[in-house]
Amino acid sequence: MTIDTTLSALEQSTVAIAIAESPWMFPTLETVHVLALAIVVGSIWMVDARLLGWGSRSRSIREVTATVLPWTWCAFGVALLSGSLMFTSHAVKYFGLWPFKVKMLCMLLAALNMLAFHFVTARDVAAWDHGKPPLAAKGAGAASMLIWVIVVGTGRWIGFL
Amino acid sequence: MIAELCDWLATTPLSQSFQSALWFVPVVQTVHILAIAIVVTLLAMLDLRMLGMTSRGPHPVQMARGFLPWVWRALLVLLVSGVLLTITEPSRELQNALFWVKMLLVIGLVGVTFGCASLISKDTAASDSAPSAAGRVLGAVSLALLVAIVAAGRWIAYV
Repeated sequence: MTIDTTLSALEQSTVAIAIAESPWMFPTLETVHVLALAIVVGSIWMVDARLLGWGSRSRSIREVTATVLPWTWCAFGVALLSGSLMFTSHAVKYFGLWPFKVKMLCMLLAALNMLAFHFVTARDVAAWDHGKPPLAAKGAGAASMLIWVIVVGTGRWIGFL
Repeated sequence: MIAELCDWLATTPLSQSFQSALWFVPVVQTVHILAIAIVVTLLAMLDLRMLGMTSRGPHPVQMARGFLPWVWRALLVLLVSGVLLTITEPSRELQNALFWVKMLLVIGLVGVTFGCASLISKDTAASDSAPSAAGRVLGAVSLALLVAIVAAGRWIAYV
């Protein structure tokens, strides 16, 4: 099976056709997606801001991530589900759009950025948890903020094509 | 009357220049969404705290003191980006009942947020022991308004 045949098959599924033909399912999925992505981006930005040294400096970085990241993961699950359902309704078209590809690539970059931060930069986090984060940590925070702006922008652009 | 206002607004040089740039509406809407992210995240976190559904993190008073200035700044960004979008496509907004519903809901949210801020500053919204009844009501209403506003905003495109 090629990518094209897989996408076509997906588009022909009962769920996909129901969403494509319903007057209310897609807008509802969009609304859920917006609420979920708002929390994904808002919560990630909170951690990024802390890494950059803005706000809540009285709390350690590990404290901030421990309380904020559960929000991020829950919301990401909802965003992923709602996004996947919307995707199925016009799978072939969406997959071919460059904003869609950039959006998916950016989320992959965000994941890599997060992994690099967690496994490399933050290995000695106990040393700077309460103080000034090293340049690599600030870089990770800034990169993350920018990446998610691009995710939101390309995501919105898809809706215009 | 609104129809005439929309017709006039759409022909102003400012509106025309915004309309002629294909990227303008998507970019301003993106800014609008990013500001929504800040408002929704910070208020939802405060609301769940006031509802007693979360207990970790800073004390509600500290949480509110840290969050609310950002909420007000983001609301200002929402207002400015919203005005720009309305100048660009006046009838899409001003001649849609759902837009006016959204505006009423936004006014409601601003009022509730003022109420939450006041309760929290008097430390009667939530303490480390138990959330107050008033705090729970405001928290629940705030959450409901956030969902309704986002829904109304999205459905403008479909109604």
